[in-house]
Amino acid sequence: MLRYQENNELHRDFHGTTNTTLNYIADHYGVDALKMILRKTGHDVYKSIREKLEKGDASELIEHLNWFFYRERGKYQLTVSEDEIVFEVLECPAIRHLRKLGLEPSQHVCLQTSEVNAGMCEGTPWHSEVKVLEEGHCIQTFRKEPSHDTK
Amino acid sequence: MIPSDHFVRFYNEVFKFLDEQGGLEAYYREISLHQELHCLELFRSRKLQGMYEYYRKIYKEENCQGELILNEGELILRMDRCPSLTKALDNDAGACRKYCLHCPGWTAPLYRKAGLYQIYELMGLDNPQCCEWIYEDKVRAEAKYRERKAAAKDPAMILSNLT
Repeated sequence: MLRYQENNELHRDFHGTTNTTLNYIADHYGVDALKMILRKTGHDVYKSIREKLEKGDASELIEHLNWFFYRERGKYQLTVSEDEIVFEVLECPAIRHLRKLGLEPSQHVCLQTSEVNAGMCEGTPWHSEVKVLEEGHCIQTFRKEPSHDTK
Repeated sequence: MIPSDHFVRFYNEVFKFLDEQGGLEAYYREISLHQELHCLELFRSRKLQGMYEYYRKIYKEENCQGELILNEGELILRMDRCPSLTKALDNDAGACRKYCLHCPGWTAPLYRKAGLYQIYELMGLDNPQCCEWIYEDKVRAEAKYRERKAAAKDPAMILSNLT
């Protein structure tokens, strides 16, 4: 079950504010500071997902990926096996909306995914990886280390 | 992707970082410039009517609970339950104590550019309620500012873009 239940209207222009913020922090405080904020967001905001991952339960992570990309009308494919979750985003809703607004996606735009995912996995048996194939198209992988099998 | 639904909780982390760096005010100005894309021309050209239309859409999209009241020469934006602060508070990461200040922080300079005068009353930094009065006429705005300053429990919670 999701910690943050969101079922109402969407304000997609927040993707624009996120984009501006990524550039602002990177330009004024450096990319490492930006990564730190994003990783902390993943670690602290998504504490519930992280704590479940610690116990070997990926259910909230899977629900999170599925629900929020569905809500934003993303095109994606989610493949789940016991020790691996592969989430292929075929059309990123954030980048699609930035283009709709006439905004150039920040060069750091995909850090929101890689660092937040890493923050969710920090201290758990799970590791995340993001491969960007082209603009708006990436493969996010979450893999559980065999040595940390909780069974 | 940080979902639009969760932007606020990321924003909240950015505020915490910038507050430690003493960098909130400069960031508000950057957000204000960004927001010009969405509403400056509308506010400049259609003044309070344009603002009313913009916020009607925002109230719906952001799931605000409150009321927009458009009177002759005056727009009142009353927020009974701000969805943004509500999310920042409903958050395992905890809310930035200055979270509320971003709203007057970005709106004040943008409204000024549009030729509109704003009186902003916060009801406490941990209370998701506030009220804005916006005027085209500076004299009316100044009168409202004096009125709210006199009536407020905490006059520091009354802000404006008059100067």
